[in-house]
Amino acid sequence: MTNVNDRQQLPDAPVMHILDGKTVEARDYNWLERAIRFLFRPFAEAWHHRDLIAAILRRELRERFSGSMAGWVWAVVAPLISLVTYTIVFGGSAKLPNKADSSSSLDYALFVFGGLVAFNFFTEMAYRAPSLLHEYSHYIKQTMFPAEMLPIISTLRATTYATIGLALMLLCQLLFVGWLHWTVLLLPLWFIPFLGFLIGITWLLSAMGAFTRDTAYLMGTIAPVLMFATPVFYSHETLSPNMKLLMYANVLTGFIEIIRDLVVFGKVSDGLVIAWTMFISMFFFWFGYWFFRRQQNAIADVI
Amino acid sequence: MSSDTEVAIRATHLAKAYKLYDTPGDWMKQQLLGSEERPYYKSFWALKDISFEVRRGTSIGIVGRNGCGKSTLLQIVCGMTRPTKGEIWVKGRVAPVLALGATFDYEGTGRENVLIGGAILGLKRREILDKFDSIAEFAGVGDFMERPLKQYSMGMRMRLAFAICAHIEADILIVDEALAVGDMAFQKRCVAWINNFRRTGTLLFVSHSTSELSQLCEQAIWIDDGRVREAGDVTDVARAYHRSTLFERDDMKRFAVA
Repeated sequence: MTNVNDRQQLPDAPVMHILDGKTVEARDYNWLERAIRFLFRPFAEAWHHRDLIAAILRRELRERFSGSMAGWVWAVVAPLISLVTYTIVFGGSAKLPNKADSSSSLDYALFVFGGLVAFNFFTEMAYRAPSLLHEYSHYIKQTMFPAEMLPIISTLRATTYATIGLALMLLCQLLFVGWLHWTVLLLPLWFIPFLGFLIGITWLLSAMGAFTRDTAYLMGTIAPVLMFATPVFYSHETLSPNMKLLMYANVLTGFIEIIRDLVVFGKVSDGLVIAWTMFISMFFFWFGYWFFRRQQNAIADVI
Repeated sequence: MSSDTEVAIRATHLAKAYKLYDTPGDWMKQQLLGSEERPYYKSFWALKDISFEVRRGTSIGIVGRNGCGKSTLLQIVCGMTRPTKGEIWVKGRVAPVLALGATFDYEGTGRENVLIGGAILGLKRREILDKFDSIAEFAGVGDFMERPLKQYSMGMRMRLAFAICAHIEADILIVDEALAVGDMAFQKRCVAWINNFRRTGTLLFVSHSTSELSQLCEQAIWIDDGRVREAGDVTDVARAYHRSTLFERDDMKRFAVA
């Protein structure tokens, strides 16, 4: 048992001070300091709660597989089957944009699969996000649980599946093509902004979902449509120039183009596309965070 | 007023309104065109005007009938929900005992729940692992530590929650009608532990039992309809509260939305 008297405490104990619903800061910050603090805050908080994130992530992963006999095998078999299916179904009938002659069916399968890895990652988050806070309502209501960490945790959980898909894609390329493009080394530079984008989207959707169930229905309605408005099965390169430009309004297009360029075509995407995609990533990350924080106090009361 | 280093909790004219929306559409309207003056929600004032001060190292009992605002007040002290008006100042790490039990995952084992519960209360993984044996011993659930929580009895879950809270080295302990669930032996152990804790820590204790209150607390606050009705020495407050429960009707109208 802990001996209370041994403790030296309180000089540096945490202080909570709220006046008329607003946290009172230790001192005033000017606008520049506030902006910098805001930009660093998501990272600082995630670092501060790293053990909690790890503990819940570990439990979520166990939960996902605990009831099944094959466990992790499913996580590998599912993407493998879809890869095989696309190879068979689209084999020969489809053309890749950059290679004039009809290329091998495997190339096309990898091309589609690259799009699917990114798109499925997005839909997994989009479907789950609106109900995420309801799932954890007992945490949010009953303890001082940092709810803003939940979108990070659920994105990290989905990352494990996306990583399996990605590894499978690289493995297939290595087995059937025989070599990998050097550009796959740049994949982490694609992955991190994509994670940021997804965490931001999840912040946004989960905060909205806390107040209205419509968010869940909305995502269930638009996600399947979005699949065809996103160049997953086709390449936007084959569209007319105006349509092609319009495609970039779909926030996923850039991410999918970049991952395909890196893995299938072995080149670095157009600078403008990269810049636009990075902008989208950062915009959604901080906007989502700002929106979540703004609604956070109300969330604990309505959930 | 005493100096800040001595005060653990200070509440000044605390008030808390819950915004109640009749339909989700009203929430959307409030976001887009609502204002504080012409809201699309109804306010339910769970707390109306609460002022008190708890000095470090004192034990304070909180009494009041269901729906008087006790839980809201405790949630504000823990930082789970924000007051709408007034000022709250809390210094130190807060450990809510009953609330922790609510976060338990019934599919997970006792061990996993200790790890997650400790993390929620702000312990590092290393610290929890160091204290794990001590927590297991305090909870006294034996081999059930490796079994899923759904196989636990209510009392065993409470034991586990109390054991975790007893190990986080909190400055402020919040015990919300928690002891009633445990058996006599465990209650005795908890009381012994709380009495030891009281030597340096601050205790907020919620109970409907007058004897428990006077056993564990020096002072008490009686909350009635979101306001402090009486505060002071625990025996006086507990006696006044007890008398009122005998004479005042259980008025169901008090849950009306303003």
